[in-house]
Amino acid sequence: MELDFLATVLLSSLSSASILLIATIGLAVVFGLMGVINLAHGEFLMIGAYTALTVTQAGVPYILSIPIAVAVTMVIGAIVELLIINRLYGRLFDTMLATWGLSIVFYQLAVLIFGTVTPGIGMPQFSIAVGEYSLAGYPLLMIGVAAAMLIFVYLLMTKSVYGMKARASIQVPHMAQAIGIESSRTNMLTFSVGCGLAGFAGAVLLPIVPATPSMGFAFVIKAFLTVVVAGPVTLTGSAITALGLGGGASVTASFMTSVVGDVFFFVITALLLWLYPMGISAKWRRKL
Amino acid sequence: MKKHLTTSMIAVAAALSAQAALAEIKIGAIFDLTGGLNIYGIQQDNALDLAVESINAGGGVLGEQVEVVSYDSQSELSKYTQYANTSVLRDGISAMFAGLTSSSREAIRPIFRRANIPYFYSSLYEGGACDRQTFVTGSSASQQLQPLVEWAVEEYGPRVYIMAPDYNFGTISAHWINEYAEANGGEVVGEDFLALTVTDYAPTIQKIQQSRPDFVVALPVGANQTGFLEQFAAAGLKDSIGVVSSNYGSGNQQVVVSPEAGEGLIASQGYFMQVDNPANAEFVEMWTAKYGNDTPIVSGAVDVWNAVHVWAAAVEEAGSADPEAVITALESGITFDAPNGTVTMEPGSHHLRQNIYIARGDDRHGFEIVETFEDVAPTYENEMCDLLASPNLAEHFTPESN
Repeated sequence: MELDFLATVLLSSLSSASILLIATIGLAVVFGLMGVINLAHGEFLMIGAYTALTVTQAGVPYILSIPIAVAVTMVIGAIVELLIINRLYGRLFDTMLATWGLSIVFYQLAVLIFGTVTPGIGMPQFSIAVGEYSLAGYPLLMIGVAAAMLIFVYLLMTKSVYGMKARASIQVPHMAQAIGIESSRTNMLTFSVGCGLAGFAGAVLLPIVPATPSMGFAFVIKAFLTVVVAGPVTLTGSAITALGLGGGASVTASFMTSVVGDVFFFVITALLLWLYPMGISAKWRRKL
Repeated sequence: MKKHLTTSMIAVAAALSAQAALAEIKIGAIFDLTGGLNIYGIQQDNALDLAVESINAGGGVLGEQVEVVSYDSQSELSKYTQYANTSVLRDGISAMFAGLTSSSREAIRPIFRRANIPYFYSSLYEGGACDRQTFVTGSSASQQLQPLVEWAVEEYGPRVYIMAPDYNFGTISAHWINEYAEANGGEVVGEDFLALTVTDYAPTIQKIQQSRPDFVVALPVGANQTGFLEQFAAAGLKDSIGVVSSNYGSGNQQVVVSPEAGEGLIASQGYFMQVDNPANAEFVEMWTAKYGNDTPIVSGAVDVWNAVHVWAAAVEEAGSADPEAVITALESGITFDAPNGTVTMEPGSHHLRQNIYIARGDDRHGFEIVETFEDVAPTYENEMCDLLASPNLAEHFTPESN
């Protein structure tokens, strides 16, 4: 096997894992910190993508459309938490049903508002050459984006006052309330942050995955499995799982076929859940 | 009160029979007007309405107006069978126009077979559906791929790579690509079958570079797989490796991909909006007058338009809308001057002989037609499926996989 082929496989697998991680972090925050399974996560991603697309078409530079997408999805996330989620804390299956219904509503709204086909913004046309192979540049950039996102969420949750309040309100809600933390407001913010991260993912991945009403579906299954395999130490767990599962599937797909790559992803997921029913991080001593 | 109720019931009954007395010819339509497949379903349904409107405006068939009983299958298979049964048992339809996916067609085909009602399937598909009640107006995979592969081997060179979705449309299409590549002196140097949920095509793009093809036959299905075209272009490969497709454009993918990625892509289909003939000019004018020109017309819409007109021609020829008489008339070689050129219903295979166009994507989300293969026969279907000789066939033929 030629060295340049190995190098491209390594690089692109790392970027595949990063794309998976970018799509997963928002879900990890909401599920890991709040115990809420947000089945509409993929649709928040879609909302982020459409926001970025609409804003870009209106003449705003693409890079500035990303924070706008984050703001829009955070606001929608906060409204959803206020109207639906906060009535259902502790009722896992009811939240799943409610968010699933919500995902169908968002999907149809997108069809009604944007129609079924909208022009994409295209991928920046730069590529790098590794030996005889050439790789699209933008997906490689996602490695840096994923790392930055990870560091941001880690610092937000461990170093900021909000982060401490958020973890306190979820871990021991009555004690948090007793010391004066308004836990319902903190929860709303956490859910909204999770949605904002999904919106960020949708916007930043827009050049790779064109905005369509059904785009969320492609991400949500793998993102969800990643979070479940990761277990209670959400952030570190998700990063390692995304690297192992996403990167592993991509390497497998490069050497064999894409079908075998998918089989690898799902078989390893099943195997890990059989070995670690509570997720791989069940016995870790880290908090995040 | 009771008397009042009786009176109103009589009134309702009278109204119902009065409606029946108008003696319209009823046809059924089941398309995906909502849900994930409505990119195609809405245009198919619009085309049906437009066709019926144009027929009625011209005096109807046999002097009678055509009435449509329309259902929304919501992109769900169970709805297809439910509404198919309803339309047969309750509505008393004379013909059915329905379906997009092959699974929807296979789900309802037996219902119309049992009821002996002509059923028109109007979408490009993998080919091979065969029974006496089923009539296919879309092009089959072999019908589209034969001219496409022949053209591409000539244009780009003999080495072929196949990127296809991992289900029967993809695998059967891949079979035909292998066969036609060989017949034209080409060779398939690699294939990759992809799940519909894949969004990252880096592994496929590496394998393509490794096997050094002259062109890639890409059959992306769904929005995610459209991303392949974008990623392929961004990797800088488009200038050295050609990309051809038998389904690009069928769901207006050329609107979704960026101009940089879409320019130069080759598509082959039974219809493009850019086809230049008087029937198409008239059709496009009617369509835009009613539905506007926001979205280009897809081939599936024209397939439905053709189906309705072929059916109407058969009714005129039979002198009756009676299903059995219409099926017999449909087996007499009906031709229709369609927007995509003259089409002929093959008596034996119930598939449509039609032009296949090869078009090149431009940098304005559109196409320009580069070559027309005239009057292409559905060769494989004609060979396997002769319903004149054996009217009791009820099969879905698939080529041997290699």
